[in-house]
Amino acid sequence: MHKVKVLFFATLRDYVGSKSLELEIPFGMTVGGLTDLLVATYPRLEKVKNSMMVAINREYAANEQVIPEGAEIAFFPPVSGG
Amino acid sequence: MDSPTIIFLTESELDLDALLARITLPTTGAAAIFTGMVRGQTSRGDAHETAYLDYEAYQPMAETKMRQVADEIRQKWPTIEGIAIVQRIGRLYPGTPTTLIACTSAHRNTGVFEAARYGIDRLKEIVPVWKKEIGPQGEEWVEGHYRPKPGE
Repeated sequence: MHKVKVLFFATLRDYVGSKSLELEIPFGMTVGGLTDLLVATYPRLEKVKNSMMVAINREYAANEQVIPEGAEIAFFPPVSGG
Repeated sequence: MDSPTIIFLTESELDLDALLARITLPTTGAAAIFTGMVRGQTSRGDAHETAYLDYEAYQPMAETKMRQVADEIRQKWPTIEGIAIVQRIGRLYPGTPTTLIACTSAHRNTGVFEAARYGIDRLKEIVPVWKKEIGPQGEEWVEGHYRPKPGE
């Protein structure tokens, strides 16, 4: 197991009720695996599961990507700045 | 001569003149400045009124992605001299500039207009900033449509 920091922004922060979490996750867990874990813990994420974006260490990540040790993982809706 | 690239997020008012001065070189003869504004009345599509917008950012990633947008501009338009990409965050009321994308070059026909246009389009695609809209109908997070590819 290793420790990671998980961040939530905008709607996702509202759904989770927190802007950051420290989690212990198994080595080899993918972005998709962490997503499933979070959806199971916070069922309100279910409806945005397929639209949300994920960044690992501040770079857009793919579902199959393995989460590196000590990573910062951010979950957020499609961006709307400007 | 170094080509200035100004990138930041701020909760303070945008000083357009000061930002322009920072990307003006002795060789500069043209600047294209785009600023997004908070629109108080929307008529296109779902007509409604906006009291204010609350902006938030994933700040370190936003800075990284704004720098990436500037790098992409320089690759596409090598004649661009200075670039400023600034995003304001916090609570912003109608009539207020929210973002600034400015590009300078020696002459107006060397891509400054296109470069600034590209800059705002890209910012809206990949820079992690969100806004919540508050109006007489209540409040709602605005969501974009673009889905960046891994590593984009």
